[in-house]
Amino acid sequence: MTLQIELAGIQKYYGGYHALRGIDIAIPKGQFVALVGPSGCGKSTLLRTIAGLETITSGAIRIKGEDITRQPPRLRDIAMVFQSYALYPHMTVEKNLTYSLRLKGVSRAEARRKAEEIAAITGLGQLLDRYPRELSGGQRQRVAMGRAIIRNPKAFLFDEPLSNLDAALRVHMRAEVRKLHNSLGATSVYVTHDQIEAMTMADHVVVMRAGVIEQQGAPLDLYDRPVNRFVAGFIGSPAMNFIDGIVTETGNSVRLALPGDPTLSFAGHRPAGESVTVGLRPEHLNVVADTATGNTMRLPVSLVEQTGSMTYVVTETEPMLTVAANMSRAILTAKSLDVQIDPANVYLFDRKSEEALRSVG
Amino acid sequence: MLSSTPWKRWLLLAIAVLLVAIYLFPLYWMYVTALKTNTETFANPPTLWPHHAELKVARVWNDMGMGSFIQNSLVIACGTVAIVVLFGTGCAYGLARVRSVWMDVALFMVLMLQVLPPSLLITPIFVAFSQLGLLSWPRTGTILATAANKLPLYIVLVRAAFTQVPRELEEAALVDGNSRIGAFLSISVPLARNGILVSAILIFLQALGEYVYSRSLITDRAYQPATVGLQFFVGPNASDWTGIMTFAAIYVTPILIIFVLAQRRIVSGLTSGALK
Repeated sequence: MTLQIELAGIQKYYGGYHALRGIDIAIPKGQFVALVGPSGCGKSTLLRTIAGLETITSGAIRIKGEDITRQPPRLRDIAMVFQSYALYPHMTVEKNLTYSLRLKGVSRAEARRKAEEIAAITGLGQLLDRYPRELSGGQRQRVAMGRAIIRNPKAFLFDEPLSNLDAALRVHMRAEVRKLHNSLGATSVYVTHDQIEAMTMADHVVVMRAGVIEQQGAPLDLYDRPVNRFVAGFIGSPAMNFIDGIVTETGNSVRLALPGDPTLSFAGHRPAGESVTVGLRPEHLNVVADTATGNTMRLPVSLVEQTGSMTYVVTETEPMLTVAANMSRAILTAKSLDVQIDPANVYLFDRKSEEALRSVG
Repeated sequence: MLSSTPWKRWLLLAIAVLLVAIYLFPLYWMYVTALKTNTETFANPPTLWPHHAELKVARVWNDMGMGSFIQNSLVIACGTVAIVVLFGTGCAYGLARVRSVWMDVALFMVLMLQVLPPSLLITPIFVAFSQLGLLSWPRTGTILATAANKLPLYIVLVRAAFTQVPRELEEAALVDGNSRIGAFLSISVPLARNGILVSAILIFLQALGEYVYSRSLITDRAYQPATVGLQFFVGPNASDWTGIMTFAAIYVTPILIIFVLAQRRIVSGLTSGALK
């Protein structure tokens, strides 16, 4: 498999601030990669280094095997869609779309033909002679996309392009961006702080925190096998519940620091008496009729949030837990809830290092 | 917010009209005096409107050789604007884009230059120009001195215009395949166009009114601008006030027209709400 983009040991300092700390990512041709993390984690900085808008302190960036680390943006043949779209306000949609072509010296007629072609793909048909200020948010977004597509670049970079759209349009554009990526056979790097966007769109998700890659892999790998507490809490919605616990004498169950000291068994084996943090996903907590089924606990109810299809129950415990239940009228009035969990879905993390704990012995 | 009660609005309007009248009175007096005869100029009490209006434009123009004065004024003003726009635009852009303590220091120094009055600077400038032999090209010398004096104002105004242009637009241009200079010229400058244009006009008008440098650096009457030419009216015994005012009116009227046109442009720029 040929690598389209390769980042090797990228380090970036802003003065004394260490913004990127040894980033390694290998992106094969045609892959859709999402960089995700909380604000200030360096994901946008990393994207800008690929575009050439930021220089890096050390490391190498290769595109199709060619080292472009020190090249200016214009020689990199990469297109970028900005969060604010960055449409040129003094140019019509057509001029915006064809700006890069005109710089390359493409003839006027050829540029016009291309612009019409792109307008047809992105649904901008009648808008070529409008100015950006005369367009709606969604239309501007399409122009920004079109401006990237028209160049047929080696890679597409997206910097939170959907964050300025309203919720309904965002879900729609999510699918549209992904469809476009597939039809063009493009290689894309997509920055977002929204883990749902990352999970639904990407082939490969890179979770970053404080300039470091915490984990990267296929979306479901990250969901099923988070390497530490941060990734576990970041991926998945609503977020994973974390409870302190102590491994019991048997070594395959854990006593939770909750009222009544409930004990849950987990898959595998850990040293007895170990202090751990237990991670339980809200959707893995199954509401059951009674506690006879085993591996269950009873939780007092504090708050019930209905979304229609799902009901989120917040418990009156310390720490608060969230349980995702299917819609049921009985839950709305329940004072307490019996939940059961599959031992395979009990996650354990080291309480100090926050690393995920694997079974021993 | 303007109050909705009518009498309050009328009162505010009346105050505004009164203030404008006070402010514009010298201008009015200049035009009126230009039309009066010499004797009427000294009439007591003064007449608000000339009884025997006479237009002396042609006489003053020919007697004073105003053609040469105005031509020199234009040469100096255009030269000044050219230098200021050429150097000031890039400087303003740099000050708007780079964020660092040293840029703040630079901006502060630029503002400090604005504080120093030409009459203070003229002596060292005269000495320096004389050493360099620049006094042999007095108009060039005046252009350089005036440009140096007006640059800070232009830089401060245009810097503000550039800070309004989002950085991402240039970055988009860079990624689209343009160079730094190309992005500056094809994206930033067109978007800051209104600010640049208005500032340039302002500098042009100020350069037209410049007196201290021209008076000190240009000794040959053939190279002097109209501001300096005005003083030839004042002799030891007699002062031709109506002639002076005619001269001034000839000089000021085109400036006023330019200013009114520029004003329209500023207002239309403000009301349309967005950069075009």
